[in-house]
Amino acid sequence: MGKTKELLLVYPFMDNVRLEERVNIMLTPQFYTLKKEFLPVKYAYQAKKIAPSLFEGLLEESSDYDYMVFKEEDTWVFIAYDIEKITNFLSSKGIEASMISKLFFAQQSIDSFSRPIALGDKEALVALDEKVVVVPRIALGEEEKPSLGLDDSFTPDKGIALQGNIGSLLNKKQAYTLAAVFMLFAIVFVANGARYGGDTEAVEEELQAMYEAYPTLQSSYTREGIVNKYREIDTKERSKRDVIKTLAGMIFKGVTLTSFQINEKKFKVQFACADAQVAKRVKQLAKKAKYNVSKVKGSTDVRIEGTI
Amino acid sequence: MSWKQYQNELIALGALLIMLFAYMYQHNKVTSQTEHTRTLQHSLEELQEVVALKKVWADKKTNKKVEKLQTIVPVSKVKWNKKSKKITASYTGLTSSELNALVTKILNIPIIITLLEIQKTGVTYNVELKCKW
Repeated sequence: MGKTKELLLVYPFMDNVRLEERVNIMLTPQFYTLKKEFLPVKYAYQAKKIAPSLFEGLLEESSDYDYMVFKEEDTWVFIAYDIEKITNFLSSKGIEASMISKLFFAQQSIDSFSRPIALGDKEALVALDEKVVVVPRIALGEEEKPSLGLDDSFTPDKGIALQGNIGSLLNKKQAYTLAAVFMLFAIVFVANGARYGGDTEAVEEELQAMYEAYPTLQSSYTREGIVNKYREIDTKERSKRDVIKTLAGMIFKGVTLTSFQINEKKFKVQFACADAQVAKRVKQLAKKAKYNVSKVKGSTDVRIEGTI
Repeated sequence: MSWKQYQNELIALGALLIMLFAYMYQHNKVTSQTEHTRTLQHSLEELQEVVALKKVWADKKTNKKVEKLQTIVPVSKVKWNKKSKKITASYTGLTSSELNALVTKILNIPIIITLLEIQKTGVTYNVELKCKW
């Protein structure tokens, strides 16, 4: 796909360009640092792992470098490049990131450099000792004058896609770090969810034992019916007994029970009190229990009424 | 503009979405499990309540216990009428201690008191009791 695009050679002193459609870019050696090494590794990803250590001391510490690794016969070729610096330069020449399909390095097409390629008026790109280098044009002999034109045949198979590197809020490292953190949380959430069983084992066991002991109560409808029936009885009967106990507590020295009646809905009681002081005390106790109190005319008797 | 231009954001966003789905999964699992636990707990409590209530209010021994209401005071003071699981009893001339004993007994037996009437006549008490179980 990359080969179908026009290949544009980029070098420091080039003129500004105006692009109508996306292009492939070939970078001259000024934009990268090259190193060739013989390494006993089989795969490029293995070689790429040691790339940073190979360039130690050769690169500017203030820059952030990426690496491209490929094989030329028995030798591994390492290219270190600062993508930000490159894209800034391209932008300054009118080549926006959105117009770039892929980036290539001149070294990748060394086999195509059968003759020098001119870089402006003063420099040329030549293959020298298996490396593509920039030389002054003046250093070239008459028969070596730059005559080669750059065409699609120079486009290598493997290039650098700018997508995701430029114009993004996040760089690749940040994106992968964030993704790793999110995925870690995701794993924790899934593990928590899968592991969460609640504290039901003891309850289930107890419930099962109860079902076995009372098989007729397995249906919740049955249980509900029974509960409703007996709960009402329980509440009412406890209430009646509480009333009787409370009223019994009002019988002390000087107080005599004259009459008492309690049925399903209400109660009434009459106490004969020895004097007004005793009657007052009984009234206070009745009011504290929130019962209705009334005096019996012409006596110190106290009448108390209430509902169940 | 190509979506590839934002592939870093898309990677982070994709991971974020996966995290959110994972969180929702955890949340749903915990919620449903909690609900299940609550349902089980409710069933157990309801069952225990039914058993406890039945033990009190549907006790087969109540029939026997009620008989004591007839014997707790001298037989001469009681008019006893028992039909199935209903009792109508009239007590006359009870002393205050007999009255106390009778009322305490009534309160301690799991019966439904439909009517309890106490009337003081002189120094003794007459009691009317209607109950069922």
